This record gives sequence, structure tokens and C-alpha cells, in this order.
Amino acid sequence: MAKGVRMENIWKIFMPKVIALKNINVDIRPGEFFVILGPSGSGKTTLLRIIAGLEIPTRGRVVIGDQVVVDADKGVFVEPRDRNIGMVFQNWALYPHMTAYDNIAFPLRIKKLPREEIDKRVREVAEALGIAELLDRKPAHMSGGQQQRVAVARALVKQPDVLLLDEPFSNLDARIRVTAREFVKEIQKKLGITTILVTHDQADAFAVGDRVMVLRNGEMQQLGVPEELYGEPANVFIANFIGDPPMNIYKLSIDHPMVKQLGVLEEINEDYKEVYIGIRPDEAVALPLNEEGHLTGTVTIVEYVGSRRYAKLDLGNSISMRTLLECRADHGDKVRIRVYKLHIFAPDGKRIRTLTLVH
Amino acid sequence: MKKLFKYRRTGLIGSPYKILVLNIVAWVIGVLWITPFIGIFMTSIKPFREVVLHGWWTISPFTFTLKNYVDALFNPMFSLSRGILNSFIIAIPSTVIPVTVAALTAYGFARFSLPIKKYLFATILFLMAVPQQMTIIPIFFLSKNLSLLNTYLGLILVHSSWGIPWITFFLRNYFSLLPVELEEAARVDGATDFQVFRKVVLPLAIPGIISASVLQFAWVWNDFFFALMLIFDPDKMVVTQMLPRLKGQYQVDWGLLSSGSVIAMLAPLLVYAFFNKYYMSGFRGWAMKR
Repeated sequence: MAKGVRMENIWKIFMPKVIALKNINVDIRPGEFFVILGPSGSGKTTLLRIIAGLEIPTRGRVVIGDQVVVDADKGVFVEPRDRNIGMVFQNWALYPHMTAYDNIAFPLRIKKLPREEIDKRVREVAEALGIAELLDRKPAHMSGGQQQRVAVARALVKQPDVLLLDEPFSNLDARIRVTAREFVKEIQKKLGITTILVTHDQADAFAVGDRVMVLRNGEMQQLGVPEELYGEPANVFIANFIGDPPMNIYKLSIDHPMVKQLGVLEEINEDYKEVYIGIRPDEAVALPLNEEGHLTGTVTIVEYVGSRRYAKLDLGNSISMRTLLECRADHGDKVRIRVYKLHIFAPDGKRIRTLTLVH
Repeated sequence: MKKLFKYRRTGLIGSPYKILVLNIVAWVIGVLWITPFIGIFMTSIKPFREVVLHGWWTISPFTFTLKNYVDALFNPMFSLSRGILNSFIIAIPSTVIPVTVAALTAYGFARFSLPIKKYLFATILFLMAVPQQMTIIPIFFLSKNLSLLNTYLGLILVHSSWGIPWITFFLRNYFSLLPVELEEAARVDGATDFQVFRKVVLPLAIPGIISASVLQFAWVWNDFFFALMLIFDPDKMVVTQMLPRLKGQYQVDWGLLSSGSVIAMLAPLLVYAFFNKYYMSGFRGWAMKR
């Protein structure tokens, strides 16, 4: 049932000269939960709409299963209605004049299925998504979470080959969001349906995604499993974009004392005048002064995030750093900083390597 | 200066002084608007003698009678009831046809791209500005050559084509305010363009369609000029044509004339009243971006 989606050399140019997508090549496997992650304006929704057929790429082609659904160079275009896809829109796009039942039944009625068949399938999917009691209600009388479930039900009821989700969680409050993510992921795994989700929220992306693709200004930055994106960011943008709190990133000349203290020079083969150094707050700790470490600094702020304590430190030379705080220290105290992992990037932003520092 | 600005910003709601002023203005306009109607209505329920002897605005003597209405409706020479029937025969198709055609046209303009769309739409706007009097001679000859002169069909076609431009304009704006995601959702759900229009766009645009229909109906009903030019068989005359004939040849029967006017007003009035809810929301929807 599940089909893969292949995108080859996708370009999208909005006339006169906005380049929304630059040469995107992705192969999404059958049954995969694939996430397209990017800040606003990165072209992620455009890419999803190209897969849906609501937008036509300027160049390139899209293949769903073994059917070419669009090929800009050969002039092939399959209408959205013939692609057998389900889509959940950002604002869910439920038909306001129809009840939940009619909303879910809509794709089947369009297909002119027999009445009993429609009824059976609507009730099945409503049961599975826990919205059986809502079927008589109109969208205006449902909460956001309920509307989302109805939208998902409408997308799933026709048993699509591919499910597309456009920022499905962004209109939900923080609490419902967590349950909604679980629910979507569970449904996806149960049905084994190829799913493509677009989001700007890394927490959403990492919570549900098997693989995540990061887009920026229409260019693919990195594609990999969540651990890769977090552990081996391909460039400074990814390093900065992914992770919360964000990575400490410094652009330093190679004779800067910090570069020497961290032993970066030995690890770089090529001749750079400057390098980017990145240290995740979670991969460095502030310890008492008598402990061993790489750097020293002065605590400026202590903040609690969840169960963790982070310290913002002043390292002198107008360099500040956020690290985990694992000692009693307060504003003004001096601390030793031990760095566990270090990300080094070339001046053009590309990753050189990730160092694990041992003591 | 600062205070003045602040005063203006608080707006009409909230300041009792402003509400008072607004109410006075509204009442003055309302009374001015409705006064002639009250006069006509009073004349229509008085015997002819009283109107002639004491004028039409007097309260005493005042004898209530419905004779004028009966006379107007069943006048043997110019039966108003026949005129009303004719008006319906003309007005209903002249509303349904242009609204249907214009709804499709407007949806095309609102959502589809075609090479010279802008110029086409500009042409439609331009057509709306052409006065009737400028077109009547060509329309007359066209009708005559098509043997449509003095037929219901001829007048219906003229009214329809006259209605299409402004209804297209009206509905295009209405359609383009509808959320486009709903239509995209329907397309993904398997609907053809026409199904999207019929099952999603049209139901959501009901207030707009009704507003347009009410206006068009009232406009056709109240039209005098086209009917006067294109219909001259007394049996086919519409109610607006009948009215001046009620005046009589040698003396003006004010009672008859005013009761006829009230009757003629009734149809559009009822249509407005009946569809008031949709009509208002249609205009609100039209004026606001949602």
C-alpha cells in the first residue's frame, strides 16, 4: 500500500525572481515518517504543495510509487485528485458548512462509493481516531484538537498512498500538542503509511520524524535521522537552528587563546585564518574551580529550564557561553568549564569535524 | 492636540455623546426617507373625496377603506394583478439567469488564471459604467431583428445581460475572500473543478449569492425604462408600466395611483425582508476581510 516519493532536481521560481526551491533531491521511502523542517520562508510548504499537486515545479520531477506525477521538462502533470494523497492543512481546512461526518465522507462521496460502504469507512476511521461522538457536530463547535482529528480522519478515510501534513500542530496549545504528536505518530506507525510533515518547530520534527530534512532559503541543508542533525550538524546554520537552548557559536581567528585552550588547531588539516567553534550548552558543564577543565568564566545568570540548570558565563574578551551548571554557583562566582564535545566549522560554515574531548 | 487624537481613537462605541449624535443623524435620515411612503400609504387607504377635499396629510376626517386596492388590482382597463404576474415572469428568470452565469464567471475570475484576465475584468468594470440610455437604440434594433421585441424572452435577455457585469464584479470579490485552503482541500480530496465550485464554494457563498439576487430582483422589478422601450402589448406590461396608466386619462385618481404604488413596492420589500439575514451578512462578508 505504502508508496515512496522521489523528488528529482526540483526547482521552484516565483516570477519575477523569487527562488523558492533550489535543486531538491530526496528519496522518501515507503512507510517512512519524513519531516521537512525549516524556518518560515524556507520553501518547505511550497515543496509539500508540489508533492500534493497544488503547485507546479519550475523544473524537475516528482515520482509517487512508480508513477511520475509531475515532470516539468516533459510537461507531465497529474491533477491532485488523481494522486491518491491525503492532506491536512495548517488550519485544517474543514468545510464549515458540513458536519464532521460529512467532512470525513466528502472524499468518498466524490468517488461515488455506495452509501453503506461510505458509512462503514467513516465510522471505522472515526472510531480509530476517537471522534465517533463528534460526527454530528460542525467544525465551529469543536476544539482545535478535535478539528485536527477530523482533518486527519478526512485525509485517511480514502486510504491514501501518501499522507501530507502541513504544520498540523502549530494551531494547538502546548499541552494538546504533545498528545497530538503522539497520536499522529501512532496512527502513522499502525497504518504504515508514507507520511510527509512540514514544520518550523524542531520539537515537532524530532518527536515524530524517522528522518528529517532541513531547508533554508530553498536549499537543502542536511538530511538525516534526528540524532545526526543534533550530533553532527552539517553547517553553522543547522548547528544554530537545532537544539534548545541554542548552541554557543563563535567565529574566532586561529590564534585566539580559546582556540588553543580547546586544542582545536591539531584537528584542522587545512589552513584557515578563522574557524567557527560550536559548543552545545548540554555538552559542557560549569564546575567548581578546583576541578579540571578547559576554560574559566564568571557566572552572570543562572536559569532553570525543566529540571536542568544552565549558567550564562562571561569568559572575558566579550565572549559569553551558556553551559549546564553542576555546582553551587551564583552571579559573580568563578567557575571551571569542561567541554565534552566540540563542533568545528570552516569559515564558509561547512562542518569540519566534531571532537569529543576526553579527560 | 493629543487629547483630540485620543478622543477620535476611542471611536463611536463607548462615548455616549457620539452615540446620541449618531442616533439623531440616523433618525433624521430615516424619517426623511420614510415620510413620502407614509404619505402615499395614507392616501391609498382614504376615499378619493377626502384626498381631494382635505389633502393627503390630514388625520381628520379619516375614513379607512380598501376600495383603492381592490380597484387597482382588478381595474378592467389596466389590471395591476396582470402587471404583477408579468413582473414576476420577467424578474425571476432575469435574476436566476444572470446570477448563475455571473457566479461561474466570477469564480473563474477569482481563482483561475488566463492570459488577458486583467483586461477582461477591466472591460466588465467599464461596461458597468455605460448608461442604459446609451445602449437602448442598439438593443431595440437587435431585439427587433431577432423578433424578440414585445416578448418576455427579449426583456429577460436584456435584463440578464445587464445584470451579469455587476454581479460578476460583486461575486468575484466575494469569492476571492473565501479561504482558498478549503478549495485546495477539496481538490486533494478528489473533486473536479466544477465539484469544488458546487460543493464547497457555492454553499459558502450563499450570503453573497442571495445579496446579489435580492439586488438584481429589486432592480429588475423596479425597472421602467427597458420595459417601456421593449414591451408595448398591454397584456405583457410589467407593473411599473401599469402604474402611470392608473392615473387615468381625464382626472388623476390619487387613491388608485398610491395604492398601486404600494402594491408594486410589496414584492421587492418582501424579498428584502425575507432574506434580510443573508443579505446583511452578505454585505458584511463583502466589506470585511476574513
